[in-house]
Amino acid sequence: MKGSKWFSILSLILIFGGLALSQQNDQKKKGRNLLEIPVVKEDETICFALYTVHDQTLKLTAQLYPLQEGDSKKVRLEINEGEGWKLVAETEIVNPGWTAPFRVENWDDTTSVAYRVLHGPSAKYEGTIRKNPKDQEEVVVAAFTGNSIHPGHGGDISRQDLIDNVKKVDADLLFFSGDQVYDHHRHLAAWLKFGRDFGEIIKDRPTVCLPDDHDAGQPNLWGESGKVSTLAGASDGGYSRPAEYVREVERAQTSHLPDPVDPHQIQQGIGVWFTNLNWGEVDFAIIEDRKFKTGPAGRVPKQGPRPDHIRNPEYDPASVDVDGAILLGERQLKFLEDWGNDWQDTKMKAALSATIFCGGAHIHGGANGRLHADMDSNGWPQAGRNRALAALRKSFAFHLAGDQHLATIFQHGIDEFRDAIWSFCVPSIANLYLRWWEPLEAGANREIDAPEYTGDHLDGFANKVTNFAAANPEKKPMGKLLNTRSAGFGIVRFNKAQRTITMECWPRNVDITDPKAKQYDGWPRTISQFDNYNPTSWQKSGVFLFDRKEPVVQLIDEQTKEILYTVRVKGSSFEPTLPVGKSFTLKAGVDHPSQVVATGVKVGSASERIILK
Amino acid sequence: MSFFKGFNQELKLILSLRVGAFLCLLGWAWVHFYWEAPYAILVWNETVFSWVERGGGDWEKFVGTGSNDGLLQQVVRQLFWIFLIAAAASFAARKCSIWKLIALLMGSLFLIILFYARYLESQQQLPILIEHGGQALMPIILVLALKFGPRCPLTQHVAILAVMLTFAGHGAYALGLWPTPANYFAMTKLILGLDFEASVVFLKFAGVMDFLICVGFLFTKLRRVSAGYAFCWGLLTALARPLAGMSFDLHYWGADQFIHEAMLRAPHFMVPLYLLVLWHPVSEHES
Repeated sequence: MKGSKWFSILSLILIFGGLALSQQNDQKKKGRNLLEIPVVKEDETICFALYTVHDQTLKLTAQLYPLQEGDSKKVRLEINEGEGWKLVAETEIVNPGWTAPFRVENWDDTTSVAYRVLHGPSAKYEGTIRKNPKDQEEVVVAAFTGNSIHPGHGGDISRQDLIDNVKKVDADLLFFSGDQVYDHHRHLAAWLKFGRDFGEIIKDRPTVCLPDDHDAGQPNLWGESGKVSTLAGASDGGYSRPAEYVREVERAQTSHLPDPVDPHQIQQGIGVWFTNLNWGEVDFAIIEDRKFKTGPAGRVPKQGPRPDHIRNPEYDPASVDVDGAILLGERQLKFLEDWGNDWQDTKMKAALSATIFCGGAHIHGGANGRLHADMDSNGWPQAGRNRALAALRKSFAFHLAGDQHLATIFQHGIDEFRDAIWSFCVPSIANLYLRWWEPLEAGANREIDAPEYTGDHLDGFANKVTNFAAANPEKKPMGKLLNTRSAGFGIVRFNKAQRTITMECWPRNVDITDPKAKQYDGWPRTISQFDNYNPTSWQKSGVFLFDRKEPVVQLIDEQTKEILYTVRVKGSSFEPTLPVGKSFTLKAGVDHPSQVVATGVKVGSASERIILK
Repeated sequence: MSFFKGFNQELKLILSLRVGAFLCLLGWAWVHFYWEAPYAILVWNETVFSWVERGGGDWEKFVGTGSNDGLLQQVVRQLFWIFLIAAAASFAARKCSIWKLIALLMGSLFLIILFYARYLESQQQLPILIEHGGQALMPIILVLALKFGPRCPLTQHVAILAVMLTFAGHGAYALGLWPTPANYFAMTKLILGLDFEASVVFLKFAGVMDFLICVGFLFTKLRRVSAGYAFCWGLLTALARPLAGMSFDLHYWGADQFIHEAMLRAPHFMVPLYLLVLWHPVSEHES
């Protein structure tokens, strides 16, 4: 009895003492230190600010450090148009998260304007609201993903090379596709660090930031319209973290985006933020490809060691394309249909989302090695993937995304290879989890001298994909240098005069303006805007010569009444390519395809002159 | 409580330990056989890679080259046999059946390795290691009970230690001393319908109780209450997984995803049950 008591006391001391000691040591870990929220002086309470300007509306969100009890909760926005600072807006800080969202309507985007965000008597944060680059021939987007700060793979290395390169190319728009934050419990601390790391470029240019799975506090995300997830890994669908946490994340990362086109909340009061941003006459659809996606656990037959992994290469892909499995969801598909038809002030279109519409990797991460397919990718569900691509190709939208930890260029196919859009998945800033594109068989119809992993393939879900480049990392498991893990960033140049899209994929720690600097193999690559919907089976119709430059045209299938595509013409002549054996009605207009200008348009139709009213 | 009547108490004590060990080991056998155990972090590193190279091995053969799994994955998958055999030994082992007792101890050993992998995977959060202490010690407690008797002080001490480890680990998370796992909130919301603020309060209360349980074992007058609370709370939290996650809409109602989560947590309530029976006043009829 006595011995039992002493044993219990000793056990308690050891357990509680161990916990206490471990907590102390935990605080001192290098990785944790990186996420300490610094105690800042009163004049430094504003950490950074993000903004966008769309349709003459400025939206700006300031991110503050945690304030003390009694501190003012008001934040002011001032601009200087050359005649001194003037107040344009005031807002209240929203907590949790310490964000201050501003919305200014009737914004004049024809000139660049200095701004400053003010808090209290002395705190200020300054930057520039750029003018809309409508008159620039080229719009440059710098794209990033996977902002791991883990020291184990170089995540703690300075981002200064990225800052310097973005400034050198003077990017017009920044795009962070997801995983800005990898800490699943301390979003604020990690987000403030992100702001400290990138604030120097964010403050002076519009930024699109998409919270992905790790930002929302989980390793993978199938949002399933806001359901609650209880399964480890979240493959049962839904959000693992409390809704309050998710809302805080979304306030911080997306409240500065243009207003949501369909703001109706989902379950647990979680909002939506899918929208579009028109900047420099390039119209970017900002898509939430996780929010409505069905979780695979218990819905698809088990095909591997995890509900979301398929290991068996002999499995039947149709067996996992189950009825009712959602990818983008009806709300977003409707948005994309409407968006695709709207070419007001637009010459080119692009879609920005977390990840690409295929299983873009074969070998994953660790010793669990080869996966035949991963349902975290947007190659699943196949029906949803095809609907998304069908919607995007109708406007010749180029797709820019990330998340895969592997830079790739694909052209997607629905009914045949290469009949849909191109996508560029950018490399990770620091690569937490390695992936390789390494199909077992060589791709068909490869370009001359191209590696065997390129060409036409079926991905793990039997989706038709054509690979043009992949920045595979080294095979050894623990290359600690950033570039052995294929880290880097992407640059996309939209040339509105030529209607071309140039993709660049750069490693870390290079000066991209140095002529000796090399991109990853397979980059740069330039495509035409019109390559985003140009099936090889299609053929040309006649030439339509308009009396105006760059009208908007739309082709409608005369039998099904479905829109084939809508696009703004390059120049004043339009030579459509069409599917063989079908006839179309051609509509056109200065900014909207408002008038029927030709009927019975088909392959080989005679050329015509068109006068637009 | 009819469980306490009519049954020889020694049998009740051993039975509760056998059931706890069996369910726990069978649950983990299921994880190894049907799903995936987290050993990757132990083997995907520079050290192992250098061993393979030094031994003349081919890395791709080791981890898998293509459509086949490599040696590593094949070995990991076969580990389920260890847990299955140990689970069978939970009911088959007797005082003198050396090999079956060894099988149980092997089960414990591999559980410790497994939990160490989880500890590394969690970026070395100590509560992860501690909270699994009950499961790791479960087969050892059964071996001690079979070898030295269920009333042996050593058996009792290790059982108390197992409960303390489990509840201290959980308490550390529930109190927020380490980041509270997301599924704590998720299960609270789904089963009890509490909103976030209420969940935080509820979990803090549960965390305080977890630590009080541990202290309660120090006092003779409180130990049965502590064991009783631990049994109830251990059972409820084990059942919470399938309750929160299963649904008629899922294949097999989600049983393949969630039932084993309750099974492998059997030590969380069966060891407290053993202590409860152990400290239950014994009548002449029962002894």
